[in-house]
Amino acid sequence: MSKIKFYFISIRLMLAVMVAAAVLNSSGAQEESLPLTLSRNRFRSGEETLRAFAPVSEATRSSIVKFNVDGDTVALGAIVATNGLVLTKASELKAGKLTCWLASEKEVDAELLCTDDEEDVALVRVDAQNLKPIRWATGEVSLGQWVITPGIAETPHAVGIVSALPRKIRPTRAFIGVQLDFGTTVPRIESLVPGLGAERAGLKPGDVIVALNGTGVTNRAQVFDELAEFRAGQTVKVRVQRSEEQFEAAVRLMPPGSGQLGQESARERRLSRLGGQVSTRAGGFEQAIEHDTVLPPWLCGGPLVNLDGQAIGLNIARASRVSTYALSARLVNRILENLIRASSQKPQPTQTPGPVGY
Amino acid sequence: MISREAALAFGRTRAIADCRSITFILWLIATVIAAGASPLADRPVSPLSADQTEGQGQPAAPKPQPAPAHPEELAAAFAKTVPTSIADLRSMEERVKALARQLSPSVVAVEVGFGSGSGVVISADGLVLTAGHVCGRPNRDVQFTFSGGRTARGRTLGVDLDSDTGLMRITDPGPWPHAAMGDLSQTHIGDWVLALGHPGGFDLRRSLVIRLGRILRLGADALQTDCTISPGDSGGPLFDMYGRVIGIHSSISSSVAENFHVAITQYYDDWDRLVNAAKGSTMAYSPRVYIGAVGVDDVAGCRLSAIDTDSPALKAGLKVGDLVLKVDGREIRVSASFKRWLAEAEPGETLNLEVKRGEKLLAVNVKLEPLKPK
Repeated sequence: MSKIKFYFISIRLMLAVMVAAAVLNSSGAQEESLPLTLSRNRFRSGEETLRAFAPVSEATRSSIVKFNVDGDTVALGAIVATNGLVLTKASELKAGKLTCWLASEKEVDAELLCTDDEEDVALVRVDAQNLKPIRWATGEVSLGQWVITPGIAETPHAVGIVSALPRKIRPTRAFIGVQLDFGTTVPRIESLVPGLGAERAGLKPGDVIVALNGTGVTNRAQVFDELAEFRAGQTVKVRVQRSEEQFEAAVRLMPPGSGQLGQESARERRLSRLGGQVSTRAGGFEQAIEHDTVLPPWLCGGPLVNLDGQAIGLNIARASRVSTYALSARLVNRILENLIRASSQKPQPTQTPGPVGY
Repeated sequence: MISREAALAFGRTRAIADCRSITFILWLIATVIAAGASPLADRPVSPLSADQTEGQGQPAAPKPQPAPAHPEELAAAFAKTVPTSIADLRSMEERVKALARQLSPSVVAVEVGFGSGSGVVISADGLVLTAGHVCGRPNRDVQFTFSGGRTARGRTLGVDLDSDTGLMRITDPGPWPHAAMGDLSQTHIGDWVLALGHPGGFDLRRSLVIRLGRILRLGADALQTDCTISPGDSGGPLFDMYGRVIGIHSSISSSVAENFHVAITQYYDDWDRLVNAAKGSTMAYSPRVYIGAVGVDDVAGCRLSAIDTDSPALKAGLKVGDLVLKVDGREIRVSASFKRWLAEAEPGETLNLEVKRGEKLLAVNVKLEPLKPK
């Protein structure tokens, strides 16, 4: 193993290093060779490792579909009724011709019935009958348990463990575009980021934020806390005190990296996304299990199952290098009831547009 | 802060990492920009008196002994090249779930300045292993947050930025939940490992995050795993299936299989320097002294490759080819450590070098001169 480290102290040192390295090589000094590495097939989600999970796939694959839009895979889905009702991740169903593959290697047409925009879940009817609905787990989720993401094939796409217990997932950080005065605990606006919501809504430096959507705030931490509940594209009513008067402005939140703001957060984001794409809609869920399965965004939407082949959740987002979220089974069942009710009340299927700005 | 970090990230190369183009260290600098900033930076950290040093009130900690591994107690599945049955997977799951419960209390989120990272408590009186780049330098105030949200105060002890080892101490009275340090004598490529830490900084609703993976490469100074780690994890522990700390999260590269951890052996090697922070260390190698000798790394350690004429080194009798073993009693394993001690020395100070020339061990006293302007 090479032990040479480079510190750019001086040209002279570098020369010395080069000379020394040349001397070492010419004198035939044998450096320790590179350590052996583990074969890729034996990585945690390597092919050979995944074979051990084949019985789980065998028990679940006929309850899973793979959605295509114009021929490209966009998501997996969980079959929830024998007559072809399927749940999936709504924001991945791009416009185009929606079809799906079944485990029986048949491709059938699919039709979007309705969506829950809050949780990003869509109810889809696929053109097939006598399907096998996924079995939902009823027990508690435990930290460290195996979680498997089966597809329609004989071995799963990937596996991981539960990394953090189910919790509310805040939306991806969005900004109203103000810099608060850090010389005081009062949430006083010090400056505005040009082009972002706050400036457009007419807020000015010196304004003190007194309420957000009707919730009173008296310090910076409360402002951050309140704003953390909103997603980019949503509008928050900001009540401010300007000298003697108080008024309310509707301010639209923007995703990080908008305008001149967010260079540091963009860096953070880049770092946490190192190693793969994340879902466009990756936050703002009522209750989700965090797991460490490395799953590309187009393989979300399907069930997340335990070693018994029962679904403990529905994969809803690839969120970062370290995390994938799955809506917990109980929440998914509640969403399903609401979606079935909504689709029966609304004979004309409509697709509500997803959040803007993601 | 960012530029310093960038400099570090690009200035450091790790022996195990020769396949990497760019490595990112995992220290998360909490950003305080516009609304939506992390509230981490809003939490005040009570300053401790500046003159606290190791040894006042608390005895210097002796070098810990690695806890033994008991391979015979592990499920057979862990010894296989890959698990082959659901039964294997169940036995692994039982172990991982038990370890998650057992180990979580010892893992902390750490806040130093505006940054946040992770650490692991390894003694009841509050010694905390972390990454060197999380400490930055000795005697900084630290706020520790345990997984349940309990906080404690403390400070950074010694730092070695070459190996990326760092030590901290909780100064609030213990006892503290702690984990055992391991060694690498029973560690193999392919071993299953658990990474714990606080990616993105401490989050009470989430608490710590646990990830499972395998050892992909095993070097003397670093380990590579497919436990995905991310900024904020820096300094957090990598555990083996015996529940022993065998690595500390340090850096990542672009692939999800490129997660690098400082090998636990580095902490034993660096121990004396880590617990004794009195002398301090600096982020930058900017010596104020002139010795007139250049050390380079070779397989044996730090070897002198050039000696200036009329230099303190020459006057002291040092020769090209001498292997520097110790400076003032402190072990030198790489040339960077030699440079570090020079960077921290004062002009006029006499350094005691222990060098190896051929088979002979020599003690050489070198009187340092002020750095000559170039």
